[in-house]
Amino acid sequence: MDVREKLNILSAAAKYDVSCSSSGSKRQVPGGGLGNACSAGICHTWSSDGRCISLLKVLMSNACKYDCAYCINRRSNDIPRATFTPKELIDLTLEFYRRNYIEGLFLSSAVVGTPDRTMEMLIQVAKELRIVHKFGGYIHLKAIPGASSELLYQAGLYADRSSVNIEIPTDKALQYLAPEKNHASIYKPMNFLAERKLEYKTEHSRYSPRFLPAGQSTQMIVGAAGETDLQILTLSNGFYKQQQMKRVYFSGYVPINADKRLPALTTKPPLVREHRLYQADWLMRFYKFGYDEIVDKVNPNLDLELDPKASWALRHPEFFPIDIQTADYEMLLRVPGIGVKSAQLIASGRRFSKIRLEHLKKMGVVLKRAQYFIYHPDTPACLRRLYPEMVRPLLLPKPQSLQLDLFSNQPLALPAVG
Amino acid sequence: MLSISYDSSFDGFLSVVFEIYRQHLDVGEIRPDRSESPCNMFMQPFRIETSDESAQRLKRAIINQAGLEILNTLDVAFRSEEDGIEMKILAYLRKLFSEEDSRYAKNPTSDEMLPIYMTARSVRHEEGGMLGMVRFSRMPDGTYFAEIEPKYDILELMIGHFRGRFANERWAIYDSKRGFGFYHDGKGREPIPICIPNMREVAAATKADEFVRLWQDYYQSIAIKERENPKLLRRCLPVRYWKHLPERQAPSKWA
Repeated sequence: MDVREKLNILSAAAKYDVSCSSSGSKRQVPGGGLGNACSAGICHTWSSDGRCISLLKVLMSNACKYDCAYCINRRSNDIPRATFTPKELIDLTLEFYRRNYIEGLFLSSAVVGTPDRTMEMLIQVAKELRIVHKFGGYIHLKAIPGASSELLYQAGLYADRSSVNIEIPTDKALQYLAPEKNHASIYKPMNFLAERKLEYKTEHSRYSPRFLPAGQSTQMIVGAAGETDLQILTLSNGFYKQQQMKRVYFSGYVPINADKRLPALTTKPPLVREHRLYQADWLMRFYKFGYDEIVDKVNPNLDLELDPKASWALRHPEFFPIDIQTADYEMLLRVPGIGVKSAQLIASGRRFSKIRLEHLKKMGVVLKRAQYFIYHPDTPACLRRLYPEMVRPLLLPKPQSLQLDLFSNQPLALPAVG
Repeated sequence: MLSISYDSSFDGFLSVVFEIYRQHLDVGEIRPDRSESPCNMFMQPFRIETSDESAQRLKRAIINQAGLEILNTLDVAFRSEEDGIEMKILAYLRKLFSEEDSRYAKNPTSDEMLPIYMTARSVRHEEGGMLGMVRFSRMPDGTYFAEIEPKYDILELMIGHFRGRFANERWAIYDSKRGFGFYHDGKGREPIPICIPNMREVAAATKADEFVRLWQDYYQSIAIKERENPKLLRRCLPVRYWKHLPERQAPSKWA
């Protein structure tokens, strides 16, 4: 099998891993070497499904010994199997990198033989890239659950970021779908790496290599096991707080295997729900929202029609509308239609002059949404109150016009009114 | 009223501003030489040559009055090559030097600054995106060569990044829309400006690189068919960049 064929098989096998970020690490080009890491991360292209491609994301091998129901590489699937040799993979990475196709390597693997053996293969590639080829680009290594702590520690010395996927948000469902896995076995490497990183920070000097400078991330499948958004966001909040994760990714379940434990093959991936979860994640990371403000016991799932920020605002009419001349920065951030950049502009600009509507427009504020939640010198006093039941329909996207099919025998299905 | 023409460079523009102040010129418009729109026939044409000295003096004055960061913002906004950006910057500088309000320079939302600020933001946005979208091909002599056609004049802003990243490689990036580029010899010297008259031959030679095929393959197999989203793709990766991205050149299996 030649490299091209292997690349096709092993990148297609890795495509369900969502993470492709190259941020969080700053590294100079090693003396006489190739490549650096840019802390903001750089996207190099976008695939036809609209996801950013920034790393060469491949599996070392897809010959897996496990049989997880949701996974394309499970033992019982009849698919072509392939394994890269370290040299093939290193050459590909360096040549792609020199052409500025990628920021670096995202290396994962199916479990071949034992977890230790698999982890050793991944480390060998990273180590050779760093030491023999003086490669300064980004390396993301998957931590294989069950690998020894000595190996995990080594991975942390060569990689910028490491990740272990939690896969299914609830432990019970995970054990049901993936009999060889459970949450405890996944938390173990996560916690180990998080602790080593903390320890390392205190003893680390300017000249010693850094331990996982870009931290850890994880990923969970959404819509495969009937979990609620409250469960998902509680879990990801825990990852941010306890394991100091840099990112938690959500992957809307794409049915790939016919399995009676999973949604039918004809199910469409829950893309809207996934999008709403990412919006909620953004609110937690950049907009100072608590997870329990976004969803709670009464509303355990996100509103699919409306983004979580607008739904929060409509549930809390007592805070709105706010005066943009005087409101706290934190409150500006909570206005639907105002993003981080415009909130900063407003906060710095209002010290000099009154901010009026035309300013907001020029700053890039989405007035179509924001207008109901703010008041400014031009708003008449009678409009300085928020009526959620009136505003909600105005925020929803306009319904698509109905397409008439005059040749079918089916009676016309009119959308329900109300 | 004068229609002032200059050589399209930032220093040239600063020389224009300097002369406007020195000679008390009544300026109606400022036209870069690259501009193809017809000259306003009701204005008298006037030429100002670039002078390094006056540009330096004006730069120092801006730094003293407003700081280096503002000078950079003006420079970046100027690279947008937007019609009339010169008059916007001039309006800002007039207000800045009129000394009505000593805190004026610190306000990013003033009527004069906000449009410049937003323009600079979109130039920086394209620069950041273009860092990832430069595609080198290995030429027969071992130089890595890339051709770009950005909307704004951002090549100079990007060079530092590639110099850091590929410090020990020989590479060249060429802006074929504006007809200039930079060559880096991999020995630690400053990248030197180049021009390429026989661009067609060079572009043909880039096709011979065998890794282009592998990259196209990778690009195809990493996409998830069930999630295909052409609208999102076009928003993230505008069609105007596709010309120089090999992965968007190959006939796609879907989309």
